[in-house]
Amino acid sequence: MRFYLVDRILELQPPKRIVAVKSLSLAEEYLADHFPAYPVLPGVMMLEALVQAAAWLVRVQTDFEKSLVLLREAQNVRYGNFVRPGGQLVMEVEAIEIGPDASRFKAVGQCDGQQAVQAKLTLEHFNIGDEDPLRANLDAGLRTLLRERFRLVGGPQALAARVPS
Amino acid sequence: MALSRDEIMEKVREALVDALGVDEDEVIPTARIGPDLGAESIDYLDIVFRLEKAFNIKIPRGDLFPDNILTSEEFVQNKKLTEKGLAELKVRMPYADLSKFEQNPNVDDIADLFTVNMIVGYVEAKLASAAA
Repeated sequence: MRFYLVDRILELQPPKRIVAVKSLSLAEEYLADHFPAYPVLPGVMMLEALVQAAAWLVRVQTDFEKSLVLLREAQNVRYGNFVRPGGQLVMEVEAIEIGPDASRFKAVGQCDGQQAVQAKLTLEHFNIGDEDPLRANLDAGLRTLLRERFRLVGGPQALAARVPS
Repeated sequence: MALSRDEIMEKVREALVDALGVDEDEVIPTARIGPDLGAESIDYLDIVFRLEKAFNIKIPRGDLFPDNILTSEEFVQNKKLTEKGLAELKVRMPYADLSKFEQNPNVDDIADLFTVNMIVGYVEAKLASAAA
């Protein structure tokens, strides 16, 4: 199973803010063990969903320049209410700073108006070719896939709907 | 090598600080591992591992944090523990204070039972029975 944890981008205001959702389905495989009689979205998946939402903001702001946008550090991670199947984790991510190689965010995830997760995130961005010139060809492929994914999650619509600042 | 409760508390505090990235002064006896110190499922595993190393004890799966409660509809119905679930919890956590939880046993609130004190109590009991 692929862990695409952002289902839809609702709001997109580069470079400052993104709002995205992850809907929880009873069909997600990891719920079978977490927990058998009481399925809830694992905390680490909530955190990863926040990271992926932040990563979209980075990609849009940098025009998908770096193919890999990864979590470097998570601080002050706090969990609140559980997200149950049928529920939606609505994630609001505010960028503190987006640089060429790294970025920092404050992120909050809510479900039914209650806080489920919050975190301060530091992401790092790079191209595979930066680290390994022999594999630089992978970056172009990844970029294409990610732009496609961006369409699937409603990125262009969210961008078009953005409020002029 | 008999450890005093204070010495046990100190080592438990160290394990929690390392596992959860919290400050030492956040780890007070009444602090709840989940709601207060920010632990979630994967952290509970980490905590058990660190306690085993710190005290040279074996903590069987589910002995400290009884996750079997959440494995069956016998124990959980409509997001609350059943009679059987409560009974099972009492058996698994003899050193926890269940009086408040019993009145309204919401699964969401189980995390309130996992306090620093509870962990210290568990380790104390484990060390005492190992020495006996």
